[in-house]
Amino acid sequence: MSEAFLVAKGIAKRFGGLTALSDVDLEIRAGEVLALLGDNGAGKSTFIKVLAGAHPPSEGQILVAGQPVSFASPKDAAASGIATIFQELALSENLSISENVYLGRELKHSVLGVPFLRRKEMKQRVAELLKELDAHISDPEAPVGSLSGGQRQSVAICRALNLNAKLVIMDEPTAALAVAETRKVLALIRKLAERGCAVVLISHNISDVFEVADRMVVFRRGRKVAERLRAETELEEIVALITGAHPDVRALEKAQ
Amino acid sequence: MHRLTQATSLLTGRELILLAACVVITIAFASVSPVFATPENAATIMRNSVELLLIGLGMTLLLAMGGIDVSIGVVMGLSAIAVGRALGANLDPALAAAIGPLTGALLGLVTAAVVVLGRIPAIVGTLGLLGVYRTAIFVVLGGQWLSGLPTGLTEMLGTSLVGVPLSFWVIALAYLAVWLALRRTPFGLHLLAIGNSEEKARLAGISVTKVRFAAFLISGMLAGLAATFYVATYRNVEMTTGSTLALDAIAAVVLGGTSILGGRCSLIGTVLGVMLLRILQNGLLLIGVPSLWQTVVTGGLLIAVLSFEALAGRLSFAKLGWASR
Ligand SMILES: Nc1ncnc2c1ncn2[C@@H]1O[C@H](COP(=O)(O)OP(=O)(O)OP(=O)(O)O)[C@@H](O)[C@H]1O
Ligand SMILES: [Mg+2]
Repeated sequence: MSEAFLVAKGIAKRFGGLTALSDVDLEIRAGEVLALLGDNGAGKSTFIKVLAGAHPPSEGQILVAGQPVSFASPKDAAASGIATIFQELALSENLSISENVYLGRELKHSVLGVPFLRRKEMKQRVAELLKELDAHISDPEAPVGSLSGGQRQSVAICRALNLNAKLVIMDEPTAALAVAETRKVLALIRKLAERGCAVVLISHNISDVFEVADRMVVFRRGRKVAERLRAETELEEIVALITGAHPDVRALEKAQ
Repeated sequence: MHRLTQATSLLTGRELILLAACVVITIAFASVSPVFATPENAATIMRNSVELLLIGLGMTLLLAMGGIDVSIGVVMGLSAIAVGRALGANLDPALAAAIGPLTGALLGLVTAAVVVLGRIPAIVGTLGLLGVYRTAIFVVLGGQWLSGLPTGLTEMLGTSLVGVPLSFWVIALAYLAVWLALRRTPFGLHLLAIGNSEEKARLAGISVTKVRFAAFLISGMLAGLAATFYVATYRNVEMTTGSTLALDAIAAVVLGGTSILGGRCSLIGTVLGVMLLRILQNGLLLIGVPSLWQTVVTGGLLIAVLSFEALAGRLSFAKLGWASR
């Protein structure tokens, strides 16, 4: 197993009086698909928002390639090679596919100091990516708001690929998808990992997770309660860990 | 469906309707008033549209990003005082002309500071500023009009360049600059993304604060430029200068197809909206409707367009938590 790309130590996040995360330690490795599991409100989305630079952690430290980092914005995280596909897909419905793929980091050329968009190149590159992903979108200039859930997911993945991300974080990428589109996205996740990307995946669909994940981490009430390699666990054990029926979790929660 | 961010055809349906409406009311007024369809009156309408057009361009940017500025007319008023004072002090007309956009830009920064840094909804923040600026105008003018200002600025803007007055070139350049910024630079894309959802724009890595500051700055600058034109034309500034322009501009821009909730805009639409409004106001005056009714017409039109869009499902105020109880 390769060295950790990202190490999170003692991460806590509070929203006013609400503690959404406390004392989370986690390592994320290149070429590995790591699944985050847990009930609704367990803190999964909050955790990846911390990794993505969308929320500053209340406590704790993040190391990328051994160096401590602090992200003031998603842009900082992106600069460290972290791309995130949020649960509520952070796409702008009123903009086109290529505009979305490049939003915030457009290709431009400067004329008299004024940055002008290089639309043609952006469209070309996005067309290539879409082809690579085997995404069938008839009109790449249509506003993203008019696309299906699966198509939007491909746009979001396109965006991450285009960032040349070393870590791609996906929050429930298949939640809104039909069977065929789900298969496609799962295959894509494996492809990302084979390319040497680290992938963090949040999903409520445990059989999907067993299909693609190398390692699984279970969250409960803002804490990391278990970590398992796929080869060393069973579907039933993971379910028990999520629901809190597992003896390990019981012991842990009693101790607090 | 959403309007694409790039015009694929020359005019959208909305813009064609506006154009048709301009033609229809022109024919209607011409058939009633003998004065309406004269070249002199056409020139008057054009002349009366200048300030509104410039302010409308800025308002289009603001609405596109989900902002607004109800103090913008008074910003023009204050800038006009600055230009007027400069002229009155016999400053070189070229310098006096520059003082307009400069003052406007400065006031635009103040607006941005209040709204963006103060984290207040733009409509509330600029309403507060409207109150402040109104009194500021009163205090600065001391109850007296600026009038009988020197003609230097008027002459300068009237200078013919390739057979067309300089003022035309300045306005054309302003339009072109705003169009380029909106459709050809990252700034325009970011503006529309913020108008769609500020949170998503931020997640995409856009520096929302910077973009919003820039938009208010540009809008203020355009209002200041409008002030320069105003002073050049009328050579006086009164207490009420610009007081109806914010309403006019919002109405014209919304008529033009820009969403009052942001994320969708049309500059051509704004031009057509300005034309429609000014033709309507001019024609009504000529057929004997008292000028008092002008703001009624503008306000009525604004309300009509917005409810039409809301009823057609193109606007959902619930998105902002703006319940209309
Ligand atoms: N911006 C916020 N402000 C306040 N509370 C928040 C915020 N974001 C999340 N929370 C709270 O933090 C807790 C963890 O939420 P989070 O979204 O991380 O859960 P999750 O594990 O992703 O759940 P789900 O599976 O439903 O997506 C919840 O109680 C949630 O209400
Ligand atoms: Mg979640």
